[in-house]
Amino acid sequence: MKTLTRLFLTLLTAIAVPLAFAYVDDAHSRAMEAATPAVKEGYLVRQEYWAGSVTVRQPSAVKHQLFKGNSYWFWLGSDEDSAQVTVHVYDADGKIAEAESWQRGNMAAVKVVPKKTGTYIIVFSIEQSRAKKNRWALAYGYK
Amino acid sequence: MNVSALFLALMLGVSAIAAPLPPPPVQIDVNKLPAQAKVIDRVVVPVPNEIFAVLDKLGKPRWAGLVHRDVSKAKPTGDTPQIAMMLGVIIAEGLIAVEAEDAEEVKEIGRAILTFANAIGVRKAVVRRANSVIEFADKRNWNRVRTELDGALADVREAMIELNSESLAQLVSLGGWLRGTEVVAQVVTMDFSRSGAELLHQPGLIDHFQRHIAGMKSRFRDSRLVGKVSKGLTDIRPLVGEDGSRIPEKNVREIASISGSLVKSISSKSN
Repeated sequence: MKTLTRLFLTLLTAIAVPLAFAYVDDAHSRAMEAATPAVKEGYLVRQEYWAGSVTVRQPSAVKHQLFKGNSYWFWLGSDEDSAQVTVHVYDADGKIAEAESWQRGNMAAVKVVPKKTGTYIIVFSIEQSRAKKNRWALAYGYK
Repeated sequence: MNVSALFLALMLGVSAIAAPLPPPPVQIDVNKLPAQAKVIDRVVVPVPNEIFAVLDKLGKPRWAGLVHRDVSKAKPTGDTPQIAMMLGVIIAEGLIAVEAEDAEEVKEIGRAILTFANAIGVRKAVVRRANSVIEFADKRNWNRVRTELDGALADVREAMIELNSESLAQLVSLGGWLRGTEVVAQVVTMDFSRSGAELLHQPGLIDHFQRHIAGMKSRFRDSRLVGKVSKGLTDIRPLVGEDGSRIPEKNVREIASISGSLVKSISSKSN
């Protein structure tokens, strides 16, 4: 019985772990698709990124250190084709800090040219989607 | 459900999906953030070359004189936290060598990354990146080397998290941050400017590292070196100023001295 349980758990892990990564990768692939125009302009994409899952209209936020003198693009992607995603950036005082932004279905991007070095808040949301839970990935690049 | 009801339901669904998105608020109350938006715990620590890019715009620093060539020749020593922090120092050193466009040193760094990753059991995760660092340094494709060093850091961290070593993953980032901070403070000291000093204004990151050290398992937190680094962070914290405050030259020198002494401890055989 113990052996059977162990076998079941091993199989479950073997199936669940790659699936979990596939979800993250799909959302990240959308974010990277969104990054393509900026990469052509010479932005270096960070290899680390944020990822997770959220319900519709549940805004999330990450805090991130930005440096005055650089310009940044943040790219948000979701693996859900029907999703409409948004991403916006605020400074430490809560004022909107973006220079440019665009939104196209399950991809959105925002450009920031920081006026000060310090912590900024990136607020993002899945505004509409047919899925209850949506995987997302948020990446950024700098120049 | 009859056909017209199904059609109506479909149309409602489509109109909901296609509705225009509301414009973003121009101001949010940052004190009410958890209520307005779920704050994601994960912190992505900037790589040192994000700051180097700004320093290059402020005036071309003499990067070649800032490369510590002994770092790439170091051998793993001490406990696991020390090796993890040293791996971060090595990756940051690689980024400094990239700024100096020193292909031979970058290749040595690629090899050192493999040695240290092996010592903490994450060699497999980083082999491809380390080989790419060597390959692209040979071709002097510096932007690609920057990406591969950043990727090596990300892959090492990911592998450690998979091994349930989030604490060690944070220590890799911390080691890289300390070496990056040391060199940024040195560059700013050489030709002081307010804009340069402002780059050291990173209280959020210092708070993040301190929180992580405080939350570590005692077997890591009780390491003498981790204790020394924690004390150093406490000493650096008031020097980087609060939001909007200027960082005087005296503080920059002190930050360079503290971070430099911590990097020396991390690289040292005896702690």
